Amino acid sequence: MYERYHIETSLVELPSTKIGKFKIIRDDKCLNCGRCINICIYNVHERDLNDSRKMAEPISHLCKNCFSCIQNCPQQALQMVKNREFENLGNKYWTPSIIYTIWNEAEDGKIPVYGAGYQGPFKGSGFDEIWTDMSEIVRPTRDGIHGREYIATAVDIGRKLSRLSDFKKFTLPNFHEIQIPMLLDTSLLSLKSLKNIILSIVKAAHQLKTFAFLEIENYFEELRPYLKSIALRLHLNKIFKMDLELLKEVKFIEIILPLKFSNLQLEKALKKIKKENQEALISLGIINPSHSEEIFKQFQEARADILSFHANNCGKSFQGNIFISKLIRQIHLDFVKRRMRDEITIIGKGGIAAAEHVPKLIICGADAVVLDLSLLVAMGCRICEICRIEYCPAELKKLDPNIGFQRIINMIGAWRDQLLEILSAMGIKDVRRLRGEVGRAMFYEEIEKESFGFIFNKNSLQNEGY
Amino acid sequence: MRDIEIKYCPSRFRSKIGKYRILLNSKCFHCGLCVEICSYGVFERIEGFNYVSIINSSNCMGPNCEKGPFYCTTKCPVNAIKIEIDPQWETLGDFRWTPDLILTTWQQAETGEIPDGNLEYKRGASEGGFDNFDFDINNRHNREQLEEMDKIDTSISLNRRSEGIKIKIPIPWYGAGMSFGSISLPTMLSRAMAAKAWGTFVSTGEGGYPDELIPFSNHIITQIATGLFGVREETIKRTPIIEFKYAQGAKPGLGGHLLGDKNTPIVAKMREAVPWTSLFSPFPFHSVYSVEDHKKHIDWVKTINPNALISVKVSTPVDVDMVAVGSYYAGANIIHLDGGYGGTGAAPEIAKKNIAMPIEYAITKVHRFLIKEGVRDEIVLMVSGGIRTAYDIAKSIAHGADGVIIGTAELVALGCVRCGNCESGRGCPRGIATTDPELEKQINPHWGAQRIINLYASWQKQLKLLLFQLGLKSINELRGRTDFLRYIDEK
Repeated sequence: MYERYHIETSLVELPSTKIGKFKIIRDDKCLNCGRCINICIYNVHERDLNDSRKMAEPISHLCKNCFSCIQNCPQQALQMVKNREFENLGNKYWTPSIIYTIWNEAEDGKIPVYGAGYQGPFKGSGFDEIWTDMSEIVRPTRDGIHGREYIATAVDIGRKLSRLSDFKKFTLPNFHEIQIPMLLDTSLLSLKSLKNIILSIVKAAHQLKTFAFLEIENYFEELRPYLKSIALRLHLNKIFKMDLELLKEVKFIEIILPLKFSNLQLEKALKKIKKENQEALISLGIINPSHSEEIFKQFQEARADILSFHANNCGKSFQGNIFISKLIRQIHLDFVKRRMRDEITIIGKGGIAAAEHVPKLIICGADAVVLDLSLLVAMGCRICEICRIEYCPAELKKLDPNIGFQRIINMIGAWRDQLLEILSAMGIKDVRRLRGEVGRAMFYEEIEKESFGFIFNKNSLQNEGY
Repeated sequence: MRDIEIKYCPSRFRSKIGKYRILLNSKCFHCGLCVEICSYGVFERIEGFNYVSIINSSNCMGPNCEKGPFYCTTKCPVNAIKIEIDPQWETLGDFRWTPDLILTTWQQAETGEIPDGNLEYKRGASEGGFDNFDFDINNRHNREQLEEMDKIDTSISLNRRSEGIKIKIPIPWYGAGMSFGSISLPTMLSRAMAAKAWGTFVSTGEGGYPDELIPFSNHIITQIATGLFGVREETIKRTPIIEFKYAQGAKPGLGGHLLGDKNTPIVAKMREAVPWTSLFSPFPFHSVYSVEDHKKHIDWVKTINPNALISVKVSTPVDVDMVAVGSYYAGANIIHLDGGYGGTGAAPEIAKKNIAMPIEYAITKVHRFLIKEGVRDEIVLMVSGGIRTAYDIAKSIAHGADGVIIGTAELVALGCVRCGNCESGRGCPRGIATTDPELEKQINPHWGAQRIINLYASWQKQLKLLLFQLGLKSINELRGRTDFLRYIDEK
């Protein structure tokens, strides 16, 4: 029976994420007149429950920054200041507003919709250097927001045939369809082995019909019902010392390649895994983008199906400090040039912090992306500079796996809906068509040069004294 | 030229927001010297009360006052006065609309004069686009001809084809489409009254043409958008310019959004929809799949109202240049480009930030392509989407536009703080973008109109001054003059 893919979201509040952007301060000039109660439409100002002659402390996290109470206060007793706790969230890449957005998405599963035009900087670095296109030249099959139900977000993970040469010898290669171009990752910060965190993520992956990466040493028995949704991750160096019983039951295995390794070692490892499990998809996890030759060989000989590129949490490669979008664009083009691109799958991991990063990385050439730290943020993480679980402000150790699970589902539901927005604006009805479509994106450096090049050329002439 | 009355029009709020705040420490013995020396009325000491109070710190000039003869901090006999940046000022605004821009827009709406320069009123802080450009003035002007400045022509024509009626507006901008439902009726009336006073236009947006606007009908553009909300034969007959809205810069390719909370029975009646349901316009027009279909649309409208000029509003995809030329051949008089960073009453954040290019790129792209196709002088190129100041207007024109379309800046003149909560609930807590009968009472249309009139007056003065400094006699001479622009590289 046909069943339409749908992500069921529901409201899950988490008290530790109730941090307002701003703080309202009431100073002692206040006469308790109560004018602010009438003015504020967000219920920030209330009377004190114990003594209704007095005003209670303003509930700052409800404030939406409209300044009405401040400008209408007859005593000028109210003031709004930035909330330091909010400003201190995250880091330079995972900015407070990114974290705040994920928290909201994880809470209600809705697309962030607000009034007023865009408020951020003109451009930024990394993903913020890319704009996606829309399509003014239209097709009868499009219907803006109403047409979103007909857009497919499923992608094939694994190996595909490039062409059929002989029908008799035709065998389907290994591939697996996942319903969203997003895979989840459980090895996060120092919380790798927290069972409740792993369970929430794996359960969510199972529910969403995608995969969750799990390091083989972190496996525990409660995960058995979800084995089909687990992508087991092993390190190349450890394969020969390990009990590989578990490998027989999974559909997806990822081998992490260390910075240095020999081709022979890799070949042996791949053969060993193939012996245990013929069917599973095999992914090579690359942390050093420079040794591509060996990798191409493995793919050519069809020992591996997926190329998974790992960057750090800020999207920078571990070697060379290059941003993931540029690297994926490069790798994608390399495979295109070798005429192998359609046979394999490329996925990217690291630095996926907002809904728009998913389509942008796909435009750069990835088939799917891996979500990592964003899942933890959905569960309340604040990305402290040093992560120590015993001092965790979000108390992730005690998090109920059901809450974690639903918050991840909500966030991904909201991200998928936003992916649909981008696709519907572009007039593309299948996310697979988006892969590598750089012609439907604008890159800051290119477009800036194209539009204003002649103006800054004039500048440089002046600077040189002409 | 018509007479435009500029009147002082104060804020409707009791307390103002300023950039600086003044602190008096306990050493102050209330001598009242600061009350005497401060010429901005920051301090007050009522006769008979031996007490100095700070009544208006928002007027304080801050450290820029230091060189003047009335700098209170150094004059105070006991060093009791401290001036610092108000932490509240930091909470206002954003990268595109900096706190300085909001405050100076309010100032201009109050006084109708060019700001004194104490706060930055020309550029935002978005570090790109317009904010990366400045005018290379180089003293091209001739000081002896100072009296000529008043005669500088800022008018543009809205029909450059040889056929059809000629419409000229005295200032190179008109009001953007904001629908009934996204903004309140008093706000619409304010804008319409200001447009009438200035002899320019304002667009109704896609939510219909309320009867209250009929007295201003010669200055109202009506929009035919994909939802066809409130489009009637009589509204098309009434209007001098008809705007076809294909897409909106803030949510290109998605169609208009009006969330259920704001769709009150009155709004729903105008739109012929069910109250309290969210209204999403389709995208695109399901009767337009080609330039020929578009031509058919225009012919249909021309049959109903043969005199109307046709404006085509599109957003900015990579192929926007082709779209513009296509619209020209279909018979449009005005091409309206709405850039990706434009305003909206409700739009997904992902669409505002990521979909379609910012207007700055689209202007040059379309302008050059129209020249190459040899049709540039037949069509009027109007642009919108993040035009905040008089200098943004001038920069757009220098990049190649004929004029601009203003939306958010008018709302800021009415007291908007850009908090971005227009989309749901009761709408704007400040009574601008709301349909709540109680909240919308905050705006008196006469007051609102005066604020917008004042803002326009200040902008026109700035444009005239700039044109004078550049040695130009008319705004039309500025079009496409990128040689006047200087690229500011922050690095």
